[in-house]
Amino acid sequence: MKRNIILIITGLCLALWPLGGYQEGIVILMCINCIAAMGVSVLTGFTGIFTLGHAAYMALGAYTTAIMTVRYGIHWLPAVIAGGLMAVLIAWLIGIPTLKLTGDYYAIASIGLGEAIRLIIENWQSFTRGSRGFPGIDPYTTRIMAVVIFILLAILMFNLLDSRLGRELKASRDDSIAASLMGFNTPHSRMKALVISAFYCGIAGSLLGGYMCFIQPSMFDMMKSTELTAVVVFGGLGSMSGTILGSAAITLIMEYFRDISQYRMLIYGLLLVVIMVFRPEGLMGSHEIWDLLKSKEAVKKDA
Amino acid sequence: MIYLAFTFSTLIQQIINGLSLGSVYALIAVGYSLVYSILLFSNFAHGGFLVVGGYACYFLLTQLGYGVAVSMTFALFASGLTAVITERLAYKPIRERTSITLYLLIASMGVNIIIENLFVITVGGRIRALPQNTFPTGVFNLMGGVTLSASDIISLITAVIFLGLLQIFLNKTRWGLAIRAAACDIRTAGLMGVNVTFLISLVFFVAGVLAAVGGIFLSVRYSLYPQLGSITTKAFVAAVIGGLGSLPGAVVGSLILGLAEMLTAGFISSQMRDLVVYSLLVIMLLIRPAGFFGKTISEKI
Repeated sequence: MKRNIILIITGLCLALWPLGGYQEGIVILMCINCIAAMGVSVLTGFTGIFTLGHAAYMALGAYTTAIMTVRYGIHWLPAVIAGGLMAVLIAWLIGIPTLKLTGDYYAIASIGLGEAIRLIIENWQSFTRGSRGFPGIDPYTTRIMAVVIFILLAILMFNLLDSRLGRELKASRDDSIAASLMGFNTPHSRMKALVISAFYCGIAGSLLGGYMCFIQPSMFDMMKSTELTAVVVFGGLGSMSGTILGSAAITLIMEYFRDISQYRMLIYGLLLVVIMVFRPEGLMGSHEIWDLLKSKEAVKKDA
Repeated sequence: MIYLAFTFSTLIQQIINGLSLGSVYALIAVGYSLVYSILLFSNFAHGGFLVVGGYACYFLLTQLGYGVAVSMTFALFASGLTAVITERLAYKPIRERTSITLYLLIASMGVNIIIENLFVITVGGRIRALPQNTFPTGVFNLMGGVTLSASDIISLITAVIFLGLLQIFLNKTRWGLAIRAAACDIRTAGLMGVNVTFLISLVFFVAGVLAAVGGIFLSVRYSLYPQLGSITTKAFVAAVIGGLGSLPGAVVGSLILGLAEMLTAGFISSQMRDLVVYSLLVIMLLIRPAGFFGKTISEKI
């Protein structure tokens, strides 16, 4: 309960605090990045499946929404939801053959499939306009709309993680053999994690399209996928609030230090190595931010 | 009839090109697979080693004016050294603290980004070409308009030589035996008196050298730029198709991939090349997830 109140208050501040046009843009970008990062976090942080292809789901969401709103004049809300669902559909199809794989096999398959989706979008000129990009998208992503969607998805996500499903995912991450002996259908729970994460990334992609008004396949290349995963690692594998904080912090840092944008990827790389060497559990470890508010005994009892 | 002859010569031509490309993939995939067989993690920094090799060769040739043989030798050494340093700085502390290979995987991703962007920042993202006279550029005309360029022959022969040397090293020397033992069980190998730290450095050195050979051939065949390392994705795919951790598998997978890519380029469209590669990956994962030569993945308790 305390958690939902914190989230709603954060949302109200983000949505209503008087800001200039430039800062508003940053808030929107922050919300979008956080939604995508939450998606990757479910899969990488909570289910232990390392992915390097999630930008492709963002691309699917972005293109679905863009084509629906521009070509067919559909209202943005159903189009954004359809964007998420399209990502879910493709993720489900991809998940059937690949989720039998574990560890590195899946990581490599995810690179391959992510690139394949991007290549299909790039080569399907008649439908997606290929690498020239897709211009003229309505700027439907307003600040309030982005914040509302972000907060709704965040509340949904935290409740999901607290539910049976969340425990199922964590169990199959920590020891999939033990989890399956306890009666969990681990391939099934992995599939659920993938589908949920694709939904979040798809929505994030749709919102990005509405914010930029222009999308291009090269926006969703492997670099973007790596960025998504790097942010989750930075925030803490197994901490959703850490993911959100990390993602917001990195968006802000990158935005305020635009002058050094050429070092951006170098910083990401260094961050990944340094975190892995010195603090592999990331910013928050597997703790959530509200754990800090509880007494130590209560945390232990929960864990 | 003429059309048939034309398609036949295209077929031969694309098979030659495919074998040549596949042999370069094989050099990269074998090193990657070797590291995987010992440490059981995907070393995504492998592409970085390849780029280091390519740039070292480029600068030795053009800026310092050394000969081809000297430049290549130094480039191979530089790349091998980069691999060893990477292992010592980034992987060893993680390896000693935990057995979770996911951390190694993420760190290797980071190293790859660092190397790539160091080159972007220091030498710029400009596309460069190795000097034309690096390798002989002669072209032999075979029957029916099929051409066989000298660089194709050289890359094939070099790949065979290096893979042969690796095979001899692994099968005939004491350290080769140690590496094969470590591939079975690295802890037991350590208990039997193998210096595991040195062994891992050695494996990384060998992998770096092989990656550099691949990198130099790629920069001759195409061009040299900081993102060249991303081509290792295809070598990874080749290794998965052949079976992760299996060296013959890596070679077979690479040749299949090279052939598939070039035949697609010759008969369908060169834009479909990468799509075909990734579809092959998916098909393979569906039919036989462990690859041609891989150990079966199913774990016993």
